[in-house]
Amino acid sequence: MADMKLPRMLFGKILRSPYPHARILNIDTSKARKATGVKAVITANDTPKLKFSLHPPLRADKMPLEEFKVRYVGDEVAAVAAADENTAQEAISLIEVDYELLPAVFDPEEAMKPEAPKIHDDESNVASYLVRQFGDVGLGFKEADRIFENRFSTSRVTHCCMETHGCIAFFLASGRLTVWSTTQTPNFLYKEIARALGIASRMVKVIKPFVGGAFGGRRGMDMQDAICALLSMKTGRPVKICNTREEEFTTSRLRYPMVIKLKTGVKKDGTLLARQATVITDNGAYNYKGPAITGAAGLRLDLMYKVPNTKFEGYVVYTNNQYGGAFRGFGSPQITFAIESEMDMIAEDLGIDPLEMRLKNSYSAGYQTISGAKITSCGLQECIKKGAELARWREKRGRRDGRGIGMATLVHTGGGTKDYGYNCSEAFVRLNDDCTVSLISGASDTGQGSDTILAQIVAETLGVGVEDIEVITGDSDICPLDLGAWGSRQTFTSGNAARIAAEEARRQLLEIASEMLEANPGDLDIRAKKVFVKETPDRKLSMAEVLAQSYSKKGRPVAARGFFDEQISTNRDLHTGFSNPFPAYAFGAHFAEVEVDRETGEIRVLNIVAAHDLGRAINPMAAEGQIEGAVAQGLGTGMTEYLVWEEGQTINPTFIEYKIPSAIDMPNVKPILVESIDPNGPFGAKGVGEPGLVPTAPAIANAIYDAVGVRIKDLPLTSEKVLNALRELKNGKEEALI
Amino acid sequence: MREKIELKVNGDLYQVEVDPRKTLLSVLREDLELTGAKMSCGYGVCGSCTVLVDGKAVCSCLVLATQAKGKEIVTIEGLSDGDGLHPLQESFIDHGAIQCGYCTPGMILSAKALLDENPSPDEYEIRSAIAGNLCRCTGYVKIVEAIKAASAKMVRSWQISPSSAAGRRKSTQD
Repeated sequence: MADMKLPRMLFGKILRSPYPHARILNIDTSKARKATGVKAVITANDTPKLKFSLHPPLRADKMPLEEFKVRYVGDEVAAVAAADENTAQEAISLIEVDYELLPAVFDPEEAMKPEAPKIHDDESNVASYLVRQFGDVGLGFKEADRIFENRFSTSRVTHCCMETHGCIAFFLASGRLTVWSTTQTPNFLYKEIARALGIASRMVKVIKPFVGGAFGGRRGMDMQDAICALLSMKTGRPVKICNTREEEFTTSRLRYPMVIKLKTGVKKDGTLLARQATVITDNGAYNYKGPAITGAAGLRLDLMYKVPNTKFEGYVVYTNNQYGGAFRGFGSPQITFAIESEMDMIAEDLGIDPLEMRLKNSYSAGYQTISGAKITSCGLQECIKKGAELARWREKRGRRDGRGIGMATLVHTGGGTKDYGYNCSEAFVRLNDDCTVSLISGASDTGQGSDTILAQIVAETLGVGVEDIEVITGDSDICPLDLGAWGSRQTFTSGNAARIAAEEARRQLLEIASEMLEANPGDLDIRAKKVFVKETPDRKLSMAEVLAQSYSKKGRPVAARGFFDEQISTNRDLHTGFSNPFPAYAFGAHFAEVEVDRETGEIRVLNIVAAHDLGRAINPMAAEGQIEGAVAQGLGTGMTEYLVWEEGQTINPTFIEYKIPSAIDMPNVKPILVESIDPNGPFGAKGVGEPGLVPTAPAIANAIYDAVGVRIKDLPLTSEKVLNALRELKNGKEEALI
Repeated sequence: MREKIELKVNGDLYQVEVDPRKTLLSVLREDLELTGAKMSCGYGVCGSCTVLVDGKAVCSCLVLATQAKGKEIVTIEGLSDGDGLHPLQESFIDHGAIQCGYCTPGMILSAKALLDENPSPDEYEIRSAIAGNLCRCTGYVKIVEAIKAASAKMVRSWQISPSSAAGRRKSTQD
């Protein structure tokens, strides 16, 4: 995106609120309009003033340019299109906005109180309240031998894609709008932009060029896309808006911070009986993915291990903070930090090996959870055992000598979810007469390699080489329906659609070949672009000959559509929430070895073994790459990444102060691929895009406890916290809890 | 007040008229349309803008274009030799060291600068050399593997033995 330019292109800049909570009294754009090189200045008055919701019927509460009120530092107020970036930057500084400052609230627990300033002028700042319960936790706790109650909290971290958000919008005189955007979901973005602008969705086309990383940060429309479109509509020229790194830190999405109050009841042999959680999510100033992510976190209560009684309450609370969005893991990293830290605390108290306790409570393929999740394939136990062996768990554990090893597991979707009420994918495969194959898919490659995986699936099905497949993705006009790159879904869902299309194309090819070879289609096979009779392989034809017959002699192209809708999920009971949320489940276990300096509190992570069940590794190198990259993000989330806010203002919006791991910061990372062969995945495969991030932080927290006996329950895990905890331990407190 | 300067990039001479405040990165990307060097932070921490200036890996976002006059500048576009890819480029592909690709040009050039000076680096030396090139996708594992493999291949093809390369390394440190 950053490399693209169009003739007569203008540059856009957005004027944002410097205040966390204020009324807009007046906006004076006169000076900006007069400045040389400025072609358009827009405010809310230049928009249809429609409130936007990423996911109707979720409450629509955000306008691309706010009219009456700003609710976080960075809220969009006006925008400018000018001949170059510098002119645009100067022009927005010439826009004068009169604000009336309002009291602001930054802590979600404070924001929940009745006396807190109301961010959306409602009676309460609780944007959503979610409740989900199965079994009877009261009974479960009654039967428990021991009950544990702990409070955990997670931090604000952000995607830090190497390419910042950017878009080019070009509104043609014909009325059609083309938007090039760093998106993960071109087939939904065009509808979102249309909704925000109040125009018909067929008037918008989105093209996804090569994108420099996504990780969930490009899951839905950024206000930048709509504003850029408005500027182009105003000027009739292409307009480009690209975030600076500072704008990326301060205005793009981040992971929702959560406070998790966990209560777990167990038998003294370690059997889990009941689990109750209250989660308070900092929704930030606007709805985006807060409710969905909070709900996703709640799913884990009975998905992680066999738990017969659960109760989940989620409060999604508006604050005057920058609002979050989807980020690799989607609620799972937050709740897993809590659950997996507590598992170790429970095991320690009961005198049981935490690995054995996890194995004891784990399930296998064929299990159905109390909330309705159907586990079709499960490699968790294998992940735990193989990971423990490679990490040398038995040998390294329990010395309490400054070095320690800790583990944590995860469960995640391996095939997306019916977030929109459906989870489908469509693909087209055409066998061209030169034996190349065109695959047209709605899937999106943002660097994770989905184009390659889809090509491999089609190549395997058709008996051609991967190099013969041309994968066409990223154009909402041409590419068919696909929800896009999120939820670790594309290998499973888009892959199944591609496989179905390829199988139909194969069937058509074999039908022609069967006439030519005078055999039944069922007796034929295709390998290395040769169609042959299985019993007598000498009776063969090249694929080129068959296609020539089909195209040139009969005028029949070989082309097919594949549609996959994950039928596997049962419908959700609207009253209880009983449902199978995911079509396939991905599992994994991380083992982290650390060294803690008792004098300084410094934590050095030495080794991480990351074992992941991905069904079938269609491309082992790519799968390892996904896991290794995710572990790096998990390491950052756990230890060095933390957005620092004061009065709603990000005060560390640079790579200097917000530290993502560099090559020299990384420990040894050893991925292990476990293949449980899912019955519904393409060639048995499930997703692995998100899972690699989920258990890293709790594995490290558990390793720190093993090393020096201190428990940190609040991310990130810093040397200061360790040192303070060690001092408290020394001062004779029974248990140092941070 | 624009200044006329001559830049030598990838062996070619370019005459450009630039605002003296413009960085080398901006001139490469906008005036010369060599978009391989990327803008990601703009203040010299992420390394996406890395190019070679007289053989040294530098952050081109921290270099004024006018400072680059008379220097030999190499960008990623100048790395391959005709149709053939540089061994580092091939190795990155073979080892899965590229995911989104945004950090890749800078990463490869930092690796090239390392191998030109130190043909057989150990893992620590490799990681140190690329410590200024941030990658959010790969976790660096396959990038390090790719650089190790490329160095082995390049040493073989130069017919320099690792021990004499070590001797060469020692002398450059003295």
